[in-house]
Amino acid sequence: MSKMKMADGSTILRRNRPGTKAEDFCHWPDEAYEEMDSTLAVQQCIQQLIRKDATNIELILKMPEALDEGVWKYEHLRQFCMELNGLAIRLQEECRPETCNQMTATEQWIFLCAAHKTPKECAAIDYTRHTLDGAACLLNSNKYFPSRVSIKESSVAKLGSVCRRVYRIFSHAYYHHRTIFDEFESETCLCKRFTHFVTKYNLMSKDNLIVPILGETTTGESEA
Amino acid sequence: MVISQEAFGGGCSNSGETPDLIFNYDDTDTHPNEISELYSYTEQPELSLNVRAFEEQMESYNIPPSWQRLSPENQQSVVMKLLNQLEISNKSLRMRSARCILYLAQGCWAEMQSDAEQLQWTRKNVMLLCKFGTFSAFTDLLNIEIENNTAAHVAMRKIAVSLADSQDLRVILSVLYTIVEVIRNESNSDSNEYKEITESFINDIIYPDGEEIMIVKLLGMVTKFCSGAAPHFPMKKVLLLLWKLILISLGGMNALKNMKSEKRKKVGLPVYDEDTMEVVKSMRPSSPPASASDLLEAQNQKRNTRPFRRQILMKQSSLDDHDTLGNGMEMDSSMGSENNDEMNDLSEFYDRRVSENNENNQMYNASFQNRPPTPPPNIPGTIIVPRGLPWKPKVRQKEIDAFLDNSRLKFVGYSLHGDSTTLAGLPLPIHEGVKILKEHVYTSLSELQIQKEEEIARNPFSTSEGEIEMSKTEILYQAMFPNLPQYMIALLKILLAAAPTSKAKTDSINIMADILPEEMPMTVLQSMKLGIDVNRHKEIIVKAVSAILLLLLKHFKLNHIYQFEFMSQHLVFANCIPLVLKFFNQNIMAYVGAKNVIPILDFPSCVIGDQPELTVETLEIGDASPYSWRNIFSCINLLRILNKLTKWKHSRIMMLVVFKSAPILKRTLKVRHAMTQLYVLKLLKMQTKYLGRQWRKSNMKTISAIYQKVRHRLNDDWAFGNDLDARPWDFQAEECALRGSVDRFNNRRYSQVCDTDYEPVDNCLSSVLGVSYDLSESFTSNYELWLEQEVFSNSVDWDKLLEN
Repeated sequence: MSKMKMADGSTILRRNRPGTKAEDFCHWPDEAYEEMDSTLAVQQCIQQLIRKDATNIELILKMPEALDEGVWKYEHLRQFCMELNGLAIRLQEECRPETCNQMTATEQWIFLCAAHKTPKECAAIDYTRHTLDGAACLLNSNKYFPSRVSIKESSVAKLGSVCRRVYRIFSHAYYHHRTIFDEFESETCLCKRFTHFVTKYNLMSKDNLIVPILGETTTGESEA
Repeated sequence: MVISQEAFGGGCSNSGETPDLIFNYDDTDTHPNEISELYSYTEQPELSLNVRAFEEQMESYNIPPSWQRLSPENQQSVVMKLLNQLEISNKSLRMRSARCILYLAQGCWAEMQSDAEQLQWTRKNVMLLCKFGTFSAFTDLLNIEIENNTAAHVAMRKIAVSLADSQDLRVILSVLYTIVEVIRNESNSDSNEYKEITESFINDIIYPDGEEIMIVKLLGMVTKFCSGAAPHFPMKKVLLLLWKLILISLGGMNALKNMKSEKRKKVGLPVYDEDTMEVVKSMRPSSPPASASDLLEAQNQKRNTRPFRRQILMKQSSLDDHDTLGNGMEMDSSMGSENNDEMNDLSEFYDRRVSENNENNQMYNASFQNRPPTPPPNIPGTIIVPRGLPWKPKVRQKEIDAFLDNSRLKFVGYSLHGDSTTLAGLPLPIHEGVKILKEHVYTSLSELQIQKEEEIARNPFSTSEGEIEMSKTEILYQAMFPNLPQYMIALLKILLAAAPTSKAKTDSINIMADILPEEMPMTVLQSMKLGIDVNRHKEIIVKAVSAILLLLLKHFKLNHIYQFEFMSQHLVFANCIPLVLKFFNQNIMAYVGAKNVIPILDFPSCVIGDQPELTVETLEIGDASPYSWRNIFSCINLLRILNKLTKWKHSRIMMLVVFKSAPILKRTLKVRHAMTQLYVLKLLKMQTKYLGRQWRKSNMKTISAIYQKVRHRLNDDWAFGNDLDARPWDFQAEECALRGSVDRFNNRRYSQVCDTDYEPVDNCLSSVLGVSYDLSESFTSNYELWLEQEVFSNSVDWDKLLEN
């Protein structure tokens, strides 16, 4: 990803070459955010922090100074969507259209899949796939996010609806595929981080965050 | 007498006269009026459903149902929860959330003390809703409802579709409209508070990310409705939303003016500093042509010195003339309104007011005097009667060339084609004439575009199109192009159904579905209310359709003349011209002065503060306007549309003549509003030469009004018909040639159909043999016979081919 001249003259290539062994994957020394000289510095910084300690959510979500908050939110959401693909892969082992034919979390609400021109009821796994694809499309859209250095306020406003839709994947996994969720969560703390993220930046209403986070009491106004 | 008239703004004190209308033409009415027109009076009971939805929703959140008292954080949280609920599958829960959002967009009126406060909260809430992407969420809901086939089937099987069938759609459309209208109002204001929200909103309308443009979606709804496949679509709301979306995304009059001067600058044409709207505003209306009985009266008062005998003779002849035109109904105007007009100089023309027995007079005068704060528009000193001509005369290069050709033929004896400068051998007065003409030559953007098109048609390979600028109009045109004819037909069908003169039984479509309640009124008061409501509903539909058509025509014209011609040709084919004339063939004064409004039932007045009980007396409380804004607005729009369709088009001007528009238009001149009159006079001017000498003779007053008000075209022989272009046998050819050019333009730019003449010939053996042909069954079974007879038994001497 980025090159750096070391004192002894050797160059560190932060790149996973073809044939890199699993234990060597992303195995390179950390770099301070200020030192990073790339347009992808923010993503690099976030990924580096996650690799170091995924449980240290406070640190991961701590925005470096002099950074545009919109960019920070955008890059985090990008990262969430990327990592959520991991959950989706595990889910497709168990979550099938025959068993989970609707996107539900708790029983009362069935969600429509907004990835279609006319929103419709998709099976949970299809909802997951469609929503992640839709999110990837939006986040890579040239129109709303032409730059990763500065982002218009109006485009940042689009992130809320992505969060809202993506979160339902967590809640479905938690209420219907608890083992997969727990296993995934223990490795990545992704849901916990996501919950902190949307709360910190006020991207979702607390009442809609229905997955209980370990070691914390949910303090919603009520249960909707 | 003259003095007292002036003091009252042009003669309104004179009993029995209509005063000048103080009406400012604009893109829209005031923001509160535009909002209140969204709701019909029969919808009023549904408003309380919105509060109830809000209260229930707040109860489920354990929050007191008082929006004002919520902290901004809580408000945001509520909005986010509502948006979440909009995506669930259970329709009643989803619609409860939608109603709740509608209540927020309506400014939480149940908590408000005044209209102003409600308006302020509407603005605040709409901006909050926008920030969280409510518009796109409701677009999704709209999509669901458009595709909702069960609702359509239920409605199609019903004998009478009513308000109840469109309940959900109306909630969704109301939210969308309120958002658009508030944004429109905001973008017109000077405040910068929400600038970014409004800008990005406007941008998203025409550049949606990979989705159908909302405008096209709504046009699709209109056609679907007209085809009968969705009788429950609430057309009024759809059309209002459509109009505002076009207005907000493409821009109104100011935007058009700026874009025009920008475009002219870009191609190196001089920018015209004449602002049509400003010039029209400073014009004064002329007194309408009088009717016969008034004239006799006025004549006695004026102690006309002219011999009475001549008068009688004149009447006789003009009557005959009108009979030959088959025009019995226009007896009144045929009665020689010209007496002593010819003699009057211009100032007297202004001042003279002929009394008229009009049913609206009393009302006009009364209400006019009840409104002291409005300053009379033309007190001497504030607005000076323009000296000279209001418009700078214009001439087209084509006309200069024709003038030069004629002069050369006359004086030199031969013509020089394509030479517009040489003056050799011509007498001095011609030199002078050419000089004046050249000073006034006006090249329009359309002329340049047509030139370019002709060049491309001549040299399709060497002339490059250049990059098509993807302006908003261009994008919209491309999106509308495949179905544009159907859209035009549908819009005109609705206009026809909404026109006051159309009979209910001839309606192929029922535009009343979104106003009629399930139970018909029982009392007199209720039926009065419904009657007013129905008329108001129709008026609003006419207003929206006329504004949509005019806006589209104007924007297409500016973007490319052939886009404009494409649209206008389809309007003409769909009988737009007789339709508009039919519209004006009504008691236009009654239409302009119509009071189809119940102010105490208008939203938000109907829900804020104490409600007086609705009685026959309270029906009219609060209505101070001497005219109906929307009706004059529609009239002007329709007149402008008619002008746009017919300008420079002989075949269409002939339609004006054939459909006997002159008497209809003349009656429209009674509306004492300069702009209305100007557009009527323009329409009369273009057909004057076809109306015959007698018409001119008996309508000198109208003719002088044309001279006075309409732009002069140098050496345009508009009144006397010595025009060579006007040969009647050319009319069809003209329309066909235009159609050819338009089709060539569209095919080249917007369809993949290529002209086979310009395609390379395929001479690759395998690809030629690879093409599959559809051969008939009998041929495939008997092909051997064919081969034997047609190929083998015919000897072909191939060498002959080489010899030649």
